[in-house]
Amino acid sequence: MTGGHRTVSIRERDKRQLCLSLTAVLIMDDLERELMSFKDLEDDNDSFDDNSSKASTKSKLPLPNYGMHAEPPRESGFHRSTRVCLEHIRDALLHHRWQEAAEYMACYPQILEDTTNGSAQSYKELTWRISAEILHHHPKSKLEDYNNIYERMKHSGVRHYLMICLEHSFHLLLNGHIEEAKRQLSVSESWRYGKESAAQDQKTKLIQAYRSLLDYIIWVDKKFTNSNTEYPESNENQDIRNYFRTASVNLKEILKNPGVWDPFILSYVEMLEFYEDHEEALKVLNDYAYDNSFPPNPNAHVYLYQYLKRCDTPEKNQMKVLKILHVSVPSHELMLEYSSFLLKSEKSSDIEKALRVVLEMLDFACWRSSLDVWKRLEAIIQKLQQQENWKYVVRTNMAERHGWWPALHFTCFHASKDSEENPELMQVKAPLTKILCPDLTLKYTDWQATNGK
Amino acid sequence: MDYQFPKQLFPSFYNCGPPDLVLKHCAGNWGCYDRVRPQGGSGPLSSWTFTSRHQVGGEAWRHTEPVPVPLLSPKNSFPWLSTPPDPQDFTEHMQNFFMDHCQDAFGSISGILSENLNLKPGRKGKSRSDSVYMTKMENIIKKVKLKRCPFSFDSTVLDRYGTLLSDVLPAVPPELLGSLLYEELEEQRERMLFCEAATGGALAFIPFSQSGSDPQRGCLLYPGNQGLDFLNFHRVELQQHRGTPSCLDASSCELSTFQLQGPVRQISAASLINDCCVAVRSDHLCGVWRFSEGNKPQLMEVVNTKEVGTCISVSPHVLGEVLVASESGAVNLWTVGKRMQKVRKEEEYLYFNAKSSWRWCEFSAHPRVMQYADRTGVELCDIRMSPVSNHTLFRIGNTSECRSGERLILSRYLADVHPFHHLITTQYSAYIMDERFPCMPVLKWDHMMQSPPMFCHTVPGSDPSRTAKVLLGSHSSQEITLLQYSGGRAEACSSRGPPQALLRPRDSLRHLPVQIPHRLELATSRLSIPAAGLTCIHKRGGGGEECICILQLTEAGDIFYQILEPEQPHTPPQAPERNTPSGIKVAERPPHSLNLTSATSSDEDIIGPNQVLSYVPETPERERPELEIYSSSSESESQSKTRYMKRLHMQLQVIDNVNVDHGNESDTAGVSAETVSEEKAEIPEESSRMEEPSSSVQKLSDGVVVTWKQWLQKLMQKSRENKPRPQRRQPYKVPTEDLLHLSGVQARGEDSAEKERMENLRRDLRACMTSRSLLVHSAVSASLGDQEVVAVPNAVDTDTWKDPTSERFTVSWQGEGAWQAWWEENLGLNRGKKVEALRRKRKREKEARRSSSQQSVLSGSFTSSLCYQSDLSDFSNLSGWSSTASQGVWSDSGGALSQAEDSIENGSRRATTPSSVQTDAPVPTLTPTPTPTPQRDKQASQTPSSTRAPPPTPKSLKKSKRQTDYLSALFAPQDEPSQHGGYFLEEDSTVHHKPPPVASSSYQLHSSQSASLRSVRTGFSQSLTPSRSLTPSQSSQGRPGLSQTSQTKKKKPRMGF
Repeated sequence: MTGGHRTVSIRERDKRQLCLSLTAVLIMDDLERELMSFKDLEDDNDSFDDNSSKASTKSKLPLPNYGMHAEPPRESGFHRSTRVCLEHIRDALLHHRWQEAAEYMACYPQILEDTTNGSAQSYKELTWRISAEILHHHPKSKLEDYNNIYERMKHSGVRHYLMICLEHSFHLLLNGHIEEAKRQLSVSESWRYGKESAAQDQKTKLIQAYRSLLDYIIWVDKKFTNSNTEYPESNENQDIRNYFRTASVNLKEILKNPGVWDPFILSYVEMLEFYEDHEEALKVLNDYAYDNSFPPNPNAHVYLYQYLKRCDTPEKNQMKVLKILHVSVPSHELMLEYSSFLLKSEKSSDIEKALRVVLEMLDFACWRSSLDVWKRLEAIIQKLQQQENWKYVVRTNMAERHGWWPALHFTCFHASKDSEENPELMQVKAPLTKILCPDLTLKYTDWQATNGK
Repeated sequence: MDYQFPKQLFPSFYNCGPPDLVLKHCAGNWGCYDRVRPQGGSGPLSSWTFTSRHQVGGEAWRHTEPVPVPLLSPKNSFPWLSTPPDPQDFTEHMQNFFMDHCQDAFGSISGILSENLNLKPGRKGKSRSDSVYMTKMENIIKKVKLKRCPFSFDSTVLDRYGTLLSDVLPAVPPELLGSLLYEELEEQRERMLFCEAATGGALAFIPFSQSGSDPQRGCLLYPGNQGLDFLNFHRVELQQHRGTPSCLDASSCELSTFQLQGPVRQISAASLINDCCVAVRSDHLCGVWRFSEGNKPQLMEVVNTKEVGTCISVSPHVLGEVLVASESGAVNLWTVGKRMQKVRKEEEYLYFNAKSSWRWCEFSAHPRVMQYADRTGVELCDIRMSPVSNHTLFRIGNTSECRSGERLILSRYLADVHPFHHLITTQYSAYIMDERFPCMPVLKWDHMMQSPPMFCHTVPGSDPSRTAKVLLGSHSSQEITLLQYSGGRAEACSSRGPPQALLRPRDSLRHLPVQIPHRLELATSRLSIPAAGLTCIHKRGGGGEECICILQLTEAGDIFYQILEPEQPHTPPQAPERNTPSGIKVAERPPHSLNLTSATSSDEDIIGPNQVLSYVPETPERERPELEIYSSSSESESQSKTRYMKRLHMQLQVIDNVNVDHGNESDTAGVSAETVSEEKAEIPEESSRMEEPSSSVQKLSDGVVVTWKQWLQKLMQKSRENKPRPQRRQPYKVPTEDLLHLSGVQARGEDSAEKERMENLRRDLRACMTSRSLLVHSAVSASLGDQEVVAVPNAVDTDTWKDPTSERFTVSWQGEGAWQAWWEENLGLNRGKKVEALRRKRKREKEARRSSSQQSVLSGSFTSSLCYQSDLSDFSNLSGWSSTASQGVWSDSGGALSQAEDSIENGSRRATTPSSVQTDAPVPTLTPTPTPTPQRDKQASQTPSSTRAPPPTPKSLKKSKRQTDYLSALFAPQDEPSQHGGYFLEEDSTVHHKPPPVASSSYQLHSSQSASLRSVRTGFSQSLTPSRSLTPSQSSQGRPGLSQTSQTKKKKPRMGF
């Protein structure tokens, strides 16, 4: 059945190819021109470096040149009219006058027929972007229109083929055509052209990863339908496993590149967990969180922590993850869990750590009026008070905050606000002020004394 | 739930290394979804949905008016360069200086030298022996003809020095002056293109109450005065009217003004509940004010920065904490009234050499973690530790998809939008950074602004479903761009909709009534002054409608505002009540208007639409003096009043009826109607979501028109007060009364009827102008009396014009191709082709003959060759060309022809030349083969009618005579041209013959200047006949080229003469 499906799709592809045979001719022209433009690119970079090395105390900013304000010294009437047309389109789009832009856009694609122009590549991308944007805002745009423009533009040049393919599949995904999107991605996955630039390489990898993500989604779908039927057939299971295999290859591949891969790693780990490959899952998550070439993604730590929690690993390991997260993101909501771990711990030093964690959370604006955190602080202080040197501990931790904590938490404005919005918070906060800042007379408590019940 | 971090971020690569991307198109990231991520779904395929990082639709906001509205009347006027100066123009500036301020430029030196100069002629005895005699010198200088100052000189002594010593002894050496000027111009140019001192913006609005339903009140802070060195606190109120003229002087208001020692560069403000802290930066001074709704602003403390300050930033966490950065690279935390604490000092750049000493600093989510930025990136500095620990927040190059040459322009902590978000702008893009996840932007836009965004204001979304708005403002191009995004808490950030460009003051003149040119120039240059600040008033939709009022400050101190309101998707836009012209009191009012009221400031400071609108119907007397400015002074007050009312009436009608007459407007209202009509024209048929905004391109409301008009009036007044380039001297005036006399001057006194007629005429003219109708004959005929109706001349029958020039003209109407063909034909340029054609024809004939007479091959070939020869010569006759002489003659006649065109254009020349030619050309000296002299060239040109009259049959003679008649009719009193033409023709034709007949025929002419045309004709025909016998084919063919005089002349040797 799948085989038949495939031939159909191939036939469709052939048909499309035939339809676009005209543009295929264009492509041949493009190849050389685009190779040229690669060179242009390099030249541009060089020239810019020269500019920037000019000695000056004031910075000379390279300002964006949208290629339309400076009139080129020699231009034909055709180029002039298309340039003016582009200016109008741009102006209309920037002011969100879609109708007007669409009217101008009806004339603009002439520029694609221009063969004298060296920078035809940019015109193609320009045409694609503008027409896609207009379609986005057209009340009657249909999927066919989109397909039309995506297909045409993607085949009009090699350099943006992958980009447009990716965008095309995104469009299909957003409109719920997952199968169609997957087909698009598979088609573009097998597309190869000449020397690959770094950007092209990344695009290919992204396409593969997205295709695998869709494999995963189908895998989930099959698993779901399978679990609903009472007697799962082994045949079906094998099919599901195939999806896992095709998905995992690319997902594993993309996770090797530094970047943010939250959706990919989540799906990969879920599949690995399903097939009980815990070793691989842990390795992948660890790499994602602790590889220094990766950007410091807080979610990487969260995923690792959640995985450890799911697997019922010892609390010590979980705390370790949270400790590292605390260094990078002290305001993270998992810090509440971290402080509760520390609070539960038997070690006396952990209480102090918990105090530090919670105080640091309260430094941040987003936690300032959170009842949970203040309650946690209250609990920590209560436990701390059982120790002998609790006053010293509090004083050392408050020393650096001495100058600004009162202004941050304990002004009469805060008092009036708290009493209005969250009286319970005020009940928690007020006693703590005396403990945290014992040597200051604070307006917060004064206010409470005068206005309180 | 601000503390939440998105559960899943959009996938992206993390690229390190120098940026290399060069964008070659101007579409930014239009049409892109950027990335998608799955959302929800854990079951069947259909349960999965996706969201994209760039979402297609955002909130739709529309302008209430198509132009920004000035808030304050223009306070000053000074000349302003509309384009950045070119440093290469320094010589011009020097020249201007020498011209306009010659006393300063040269006076001092000439004063010193005065005792060595003697200006009075002939008094040797008194002066010193070594003194120079200036009268002589002056004479010498006059002879040399140096370029002199065009202004007159009184005969004072100094002025003479000025003349004499101009650019000889300037007070400042020109080399020095030139180089200094060059430097200054270069700096000015850079400052105009990109003024980094203005980063941050010097306009702030502090709302007094946060509650939504009230009209939004607050305090507007802006710099005033010419040098922007006054800090103004002004109470403003954003009021909402629902059809009622409710507010006029609603609240009293305090206006405090502080004078600073330098222009206000940046205003940063933060308020905590009711208390507000305002920090102001000028170049070397920073000050902090404190005020609240009830209290007047109070200056707390001022600090002096040794280096130029580049940034000031008020803490959103703790009132009274201010960060100050300066060009020295140091950032200080200034706790007002207490101490200055050094946060960080960086001599070097953060990441690479950016060659800029600009530094920036902002607070962050943690009160003791500061943002430190230069052009290369942003770091977060934790000042609790010592040494301060730093980590990168943003780095050009490490952030993905930076472009080559990208530099950081502004960085801003978005405390009110999201506690962890920072906005970073570069020339190309705007990034949202989450400080919990540094180095990777959570969002990136191409803002697509022409000049880099230096001002920023954010409007938080009132609830999580709403978008947060980021307004970016640029300096030199005045652009404002609205970006929208959502997320950052439970969901990952996504941008909503493409960037939206808002209105610019410099574009507003298009929508306003037409200005007369010099006003237009002044207004244009004033309105295109770079922006200096941006702020916005957000009225939440509590009781009334939500709206955003965006205020923009320009460097001239003008403030313009525009109001955005959310667009209701399927309701028609609120149109001003079209059918009630008298509804000026209520209907025309925009739904929102910024009411600026003040107790201490005079009324004229305020030009709000409210005020104007509300007092027009009630107390029209007050309006009148101002209206008088642009109404004709000859009319009575009541007239002007009715006219004003009528005008308002008119404008309303204009909206309804495109072709309506514009009434008595003096210089306004024209364009509003035109634009309206244009906009009306493009209303599309289908009304749907997309068409709504374009079809409802707003009309200017009357209030705005009046506000703008008053603003422009004030600007003109101000500019009249101080002329830009005060000139020291009056230009020298030549008394001209004696030179020009009006024709009716003498008669004026006596002829009262004439006078009356003039009066009538003037009145009619005025009436035409006021009614904007065309001045046509019927309108003035009454006053002018009956005029002779001149009949329209008959259509020209081209067939009767047979001479080459006329024919050429006729042909030239058919286009350039035909014209060229004519020339080719005429000059025989296509001779080669013709020869070729003839040869082919001959060949064909030959072959035909050969085939017919196969027997006699030899004789046939012989005859054919003979025929061939004769045919060829025939042809050369025919075209008037010989192969030998072709080249030389051709070039000659070419020159003659081009001259001919010149002279034909010039009728008067034609009329004047003949006499001189006649006298200058002694007929007997004419040689049989004349060389091409100018005279002869003229012949070619000046014989349009006669040269082309080849067959001298009686009929053609008649024809040519008719032509000459026509000519004489055209050049009414002169019959010289025809005469002259006849003469030349004669002369030409004589060339072919022996001198005697020429002498005789031309003698005829000479003998009697007033000889009749007829006699000329006879001579003409006489002289031509022999030539006809010589070239029989001429007459038979009748080709235009035949009578080319110079050609026939040259042909002579070939013809065996």
